[in-house]
Amino acid sequence: MRGIVQINFGGREIALKLVYYGPALSGKTTNLRSLHHLTTETSRGRLMTLETRDDRTLFFDMLPLTLRAETSVTGADRAGTPAGMTLRIKIFTVPGQVLHASTRRLVLQGADGVAFIADSQISETEHNAASFLDLRRNLKELNLSVKELPLVIQFNKRDLDRIRSDEELAALASRGREPVFRASAVNGDGVLETFFGLLDVTWRKLDREHQLAKLLGIASTELLPMAARQLGLETDVATLLSSCLGGTTQRTAEVSS
Amino acid sequence: MTIEAPPPSVRVDDLVLDGRLHLEDLVDRDGLDELCRSFVALFGIPVRIYSNEGGLLADTAIEHELCAYVNTTVEGRKACAATVGAVKARDAGESGDVLHPCFTGAAYRILALEYDGRRVGRLIVGPFLPPQVTEPLPSLLSIDAAIDKDRAQVLLGKMPRAKAETVTRITTHLKSALDLILFSGHKSFVTSKMHLASVRESYRQLEDKTARLQEAFDRLKELDRLKSNFLATVSHELRTPLTSIIGYSEMLVEGLAGELKPEQIEFVKTIHAKGGQLLSLIMSLLDLSKMESGTMRMTMRPVRIEAVMKEVVSTLLPTARKRGVKLQMSADASSLGEVRGDPERLRQVFINLVENAIKFTPSEGSVTLRAAMVDEDGDGGDDDAGLALLAPTRALVEVRVVDTGIGIPKREWGRIFDPFYQVDSSSTREYGGTGLGLSIVKRLVESHGGTIRIEDNPPRGTVFVVTLPQTSAGADVTSDARAPAESRPDG
Ligand SMILES: Nc1nc2c(ncn2[C@@H]2O[C@H](COP(=O)(O)OP(=O)(O)OP(=O)(O)O)[C@@H](O)[C@H]2O)c(=O)[nH]1
Ligand SMILES: Nc1ncnc2c1ncn2[C@@H]1O[C@H](COP(=O)(O)OP(=O)(O)OP(=O)(O)O)[C@@H](O)[C@H]1O
Ligand SMILES: [Mg+2]
Ligand SMILES: [Mg+2]
Repeated sequence: MRGIVQINFGGREIALKLVYYGPALSGKTTNLRSLHHLTTETSRGRLMTLETRDDRTLFFDMLPLTLRAETSVTGADRAGTPAGMTLRIKIFTVPGQVLHASTRRLVLQGADGVAFIADSQISETEHNAASFLDLRRNLKELNLSVKELPLVIQFNKRDLDRIRSDEELAALASRGREPVFRASAVNGDGVLETFFGLLDVTWRKLDREHQLAKLLGIASTELLPMAARQLGLETDVATLLSSCLGGTTQRTAEVSS
Repeated sequence: MTIEAPPPSVRVDDLVLDGRLHLEDLVDRDGLDELCRSFVALFGIPVRIYSNEGGLLADTAIEHELCAYVNTTVEGRKACAATVGAVKARDAGESGDVLHPCFTGAAYRILALEYDGRRVGRLIVGPFLPPQVTEPLPSLLSIDAAIDKDRAQVLLGKMPRAKAETVTRITTHLKSALDLILFSGHKSFVTSKMHLASVRESYRQLEDKTARLQEAFDRLKELDRLKSNFLATVSHELRTPLTSIIGYSEMLVEGLAGELKPEQIEFVKTIHAKGGQLLSLIMSLLDLSKMESGTMRMTMRPVRIEAVMKEVVSTLLPTARKRGVKLQMSADASSLGEVRGDPERLRQVFINLVENAIKFTPSEGSVTLRAAMVDEDGDGGDDDAGLALLAPTRALVEVRVVDTGIGIPKREWGRIFDPFYQVDSSSTREYGGTGLGLSIVKRLVESHGGTIRIEDNPPRGTVFVVTLPQTSAGADVTSDARAPAESRPDG
């Protein structure tokens, strides 16, 4: 296995891999489409959607984001590469259909963080659970553990009827460790919140283990605001993150360690 | 069971994440060439595309007349080659866009090609003439004495002119068209790799599962072998003391140890009878396990089947009488010939069948043994191809055990030959027995190269039909009885 975070090109690039996991039709692809829609072109590349059949993901979708550190601490000017450090984030979705189990594992391999996109409809409860077990099994096969993996949960499709209520979600969130976000991905609600929530927990863990901030020449707390700026967002990051339910255990644990 | 899974065969990350993407992998060269040609047709300026590795991916070099003229002179040709070489080798620089002048006054633009924020190659545009150059420069005229100023002036006028901003606009357009080509090229590259990878990954998983199943299967087979061995050993060990119990109880009944009271005699007789039952059960188990392990020895020789039948009838006549069942046989000794077999085992086959027939036939009923010659196609075989060759080897003796008893429902016909299977559990109580008889019969018949099947005997009763090959036909019957489906070495 490679070390989780990838540092490339003479240490001038850091690559992060984030994966949107979840049961079939929960809205993973929709999340990525909305994210693509909500960010500005300068920092994000084209959304790559691989060969779908009836709009279902067959292999994966992938959205690349490229953030440039806004301080130039490295003086070494190498020809052919722009000065300064680059943080490349690739966001993948897996195919949710049960049938694509082996592809899911291929895509999950090497993930630095996972957003689990659940369907809020009460009728989907079991599919959510089954897909989470599938995630756990696949992580285990890849020698990763769900305990160590930065993880956030999104309950999508809040716009529908017959869904788990906000109170129920709050209760569930307070019992679990992971931050929980509510979203309606088709309308673009909660999409940025989930993404920044995931970036937050992933960054905290990797920065702690690899001193990424130092490598990028920024302060640890600067990354999220910097990302928001470069992606052209007007909302401030603290507001985005404050919409999350639960997840406190994980955060205090990270701060204290 | 924990079998460590090998790592997946392809890394998705390698396909999309890092800088190992080569321009060569992403583009269709013919398509790229066409794009560049249409560009040249529009603007008259040559275009070349190089990959990072230095490969020339598209070349639409057209030779301007001035260049052709310069190349007719010795020094001009040298200088031209030097310029072209320098352009080819020149990097696009920090900014990704540099101008390279030619001694003729023309110029080249060298631009970096980027994909996904990384440089993957270079775009070389030119030579074209900047607008400010209106007449031959000294650098052109002095390169070779043979260059004529007036001619150079005329040819210079024929070179395509372009302002820097115009070239920038054109190349920006070209670059964005290229970017789209690269993106779709990348996409199909990744798609095809993912196709392969997911197929391989599924295959790996299947192989994994197959290996586990094979392991489980081998273990079960081994267990089965152990069970057979165990059964054989235990049966054998039980038989020895049991024979003593039977022998001594017989002697007690016969008064060899002194007179017994009538009641005592009754008791001892019961001990003797139950011992006998137990012994026959053990013998059956022993037979079964011998046949399963393939260790039953049989002495094959020509046997007259009607002799075996006669013996069976005379053995079971008392039983039949006791139950009020008529037992009879019919066989035309002259036409039957001989079958190849072990007479003791064949006797066992028919004893079992006739015992069953008597057991399941109410009094006033009848049991009949009938033997006849048949052809194989006589029993419904519809394939008569090559019969002229096959018929002589297919002569069969058919023995039918016909009863007018309770019958066997059709749906049970398939399972009736399984060990311990009895039609319904209540009949176990009414008729006794262990359900081993028919399974032994079937194996014995098959190890003689024969078959056994069931038919109805309307209006009431059952027919068991045993066919055995005639002597000449049974030449290939071996002397070892083996489990029909598969043979395994003894021990
Ligand atoms: N009402 C509602 N529908 C949604 C929402 N998000 C997604 N959908 C719909 O759910 C369906 C499936 O969405 P996708 O994004 O394709 O689901 P997916 O998780 O990528 O599915 P797979 O690729 O099969 O794993 C689509 O019809 C979406 O329009 C939402 O927030 N509200
Ligand atoms: N002629 C027959 N008529 C009706 N049923 C029969 C006949 N022969 C066999 N069967 C059915 O097939 C079952 C299996 O027969 P099999 O000879 O294998 O066992 P069994 O006679 O019950 O016991 P065992 O022969 O071991 O003492 C019988 O229990 C009975 O239900
Ligand atoms: Mg999808
Ligand atoms: Mg029987």
